[in-house]
Amino acid sequence: MRALFSIPFALLLLLGHLHAESRHDTPPTPQTDIAALLRIQADVQKLLPQVRSALVAIQTGGGTASGVIISADGLLLTAAHVPGGPGKDMRVILEDGSITTAKSLGMDKTTDAALAQLKKREKPWPFVKLSREVIKAQPGEWCFALGHPGGYDKERGPVLRVGKIIKQTANSLHTDCVLMGGDSGGPLFNFDGEVIGIHSQIWENRDQNVHVSMAPFLRSWEAMQKSQVIKTWGIGAGGYLGVATVMSDNVELEVADVIDGSPAKTAGVQAGDVILSVNGEAMTDQQQFSATVRSRAAGDVLKLKLRNSGKDRELSVKLDQKPQEEGQ
Amino acid sequence: MITSQGARTLLSALLVFYAILGRAETSRPTLPLEQRTNGTQTLAAIGKLKPLTIDCAARIETKRGQALCAATIVGEDGYILIKASEVPDLAEARVKFSDGRTAGLREIRRETRFDLVLAQAVGITGLRAVSFGAARPLTMGQWLCSVADAGKEPRIGTVSAKIRRIPGTGAALGIRMDEKSPKGGSGVRIIGIASESPAEIAGLHENDVIITIAGAKVGAFREVHELVNKRQPGEIIEVRYLRQDKEDTCRVRLASRTKVLQNWEGEDFANGGISLRTDNFPEVLQHDIPLLPTDMGSPVATLEGKVVGINIARVDRVTTFALPVEAFWTEAQQWIQADRHPPKAVLAE
Repeated sequence: MRALFSIPFALLLLLGHLHAESRHDTPPTPQTDIAALLRIQADVQKLLPQVRSALVAIQTGGGTASGVIISADGLLLTAAHVPGGPGKDMRVILEDGSITTAKSLGMDKTTDAALAQLKKREKPWPFVKLSREVIKAQPGEWCFALGHPGGYDKERGPVLRVGKIIKQTANSLHTDCVLMGGDSGGPLFNFDGEVIGIHSQIWENRDQNVHVSMAPFLRSWEAMQKSQVIKTWGIGAGGYLGVATVMSDNVELEVADVIDGSPAKTAGVQAGDVILSVNGEAMTDQQQFSATVRSRAAGDVLKLKLRNSGKDRELSVKLDQKPQEEGQ
Repeated sequence: MITSQGARTLLSALLVFYAILGRAETSRPTLPLEQRTNGTQTLAAIGKLKPLTIDCAARIETKRGQALCAATIVGEDGYILIKASEVPDLAEARVKFSDGRTAGLREIRRETRFDLVLAQAVGITGLRAVSFGAARPLTMGQWLCSVADAGKEPRIGTVSAKIRRIPGTGAALGIRMDEKSPKGGSGVRIIGIASESPAEIAGLHENDVIITIAGAKVGAFREVHELVNKRQPGEIIEVRYLRQDKEDTCRVRLASRTKVLQNWEGEDFANGGISLRTDNFPEVLQHDIPLLPTDMGSPVATLEGKVVGINIARVDRVTTFALPVEAFWTEAQQWIQADRHPPKAVLAE
């Protein structure tokens, strides 16, 4: 049983971060008293029976981890480092000890978010909802974690940790719910019983437990369902095309400029082209286009469908590394 | 079910969110230490439980004042229960109470099954004994509190898994051994040492050749296994070894085999380490209170101040075991009773 966390890397990040953390203050939260603690206890104990059956243990060739079912047809959230790639077969143990299989779908390797699909069955799978209001998971909020630390243990069952959110970043939540190897991919819940995080990494201190927030899942949902691998989102260095876009008067997505020496220029994209679709996906606005391009890595090939002066044409563009300080 | 239409809704919702985050980027608030689960503000809530928790705990230390483990006060006249495997010899230890008094220890009963020692603090009276409550009815999510930092600081956490028995796997040194005998001689060569293992702590090295264990000659790795395996975690054994043609001896404090093997590369991130003995308990209450191995032996209580168990093993980063009161208290009361009222000597006719 090997730990599934990328610990050495996490350790390297440790120092600089701590210093940055201590500078910011949050407004004071109401004083905790025993009555408040007992309310939290009552809430957790009410929610546990509702959510625990959606927790699963995942066994792959590389080790043991956790996951959570989020739809009746068996869609599973886990951490990207658990399957490691799309199309991987995984052994899944449900809360009652029964065993099934799942196949990994797409994932965002930069943020450690991944989707998988449980084997079809007639009976609906037990599932929990995921929180779509990522911004609500703020420092000071109580939360609780479930998982299979150290691997699946029938006698022990799932392990609960109750704690607080310490920090929210663009793609992650930090909490004092203490995690360890085997927890990877398991769910972090809010007090509505919704999934707000997926266990991802730990740093050395007890308060340094990192969960993927729902942001990367919501952002890349379609891509992940199509088994795509997103490698470069988080660092803002996604595949580089080299076009600037505007919304035309007809509310179409139009190329405003093409950067010299860019992949778009080489492929023959021209200012004034209307971008109809990318890899068959219809483009309706700038953000969607920008996200679509950036979610692919340098070296990936995009099929652009363009229209100019009433004539449609298709181009293949091989994305490049993004040069410093330039547009999309 | 999330259809592709549903997913599109997800995407548009996301754009709004993204814009908000972009603004928040510059000032990401971090929860100050005092507001965290075990921060001072949260712990203030259980401050009034001090007489029922902290005041009923004691610190077991060396005669120089170095912390060894903790103890739970079970009798006003100095009776305490201590985590046994951390203190093989009570004659070398003393107890320090929260009121500052210290005392020597008289060992009454050492029970390997529970990993507890019943002892009496010599010449001490007027202590506050714990008030026990039932542990078995407690379920996951129940708050618990305990005592950290040598019996001074409160800590909270929750019952985190099912009450259950923990089977034992024996003791280990934490070494890998050569299956072949070393060149031209007897003994067993060490070819690997586990991180933070008993062998590493005792100063054994790779390529050392073990000659005897507890006085018995060893010629094959199986013999080492046999000699070590029948002992208990916490026991000290003498290992005589050959290093670069020089013989030497070291004392190795054995640990539970399970944890030595699972933590071979030191991947556990346990923060403050784990207990020597982490298994072979008749029953445990698992919780997530942040404690250290030296906090084992301290009481675990509900927020009503009822002590439901004694911390018995720091197992890994997320796990601490406590012995539930039901597992040991009936027996321990009999030990105390027998010690208070020893059978009277009868004169020979």
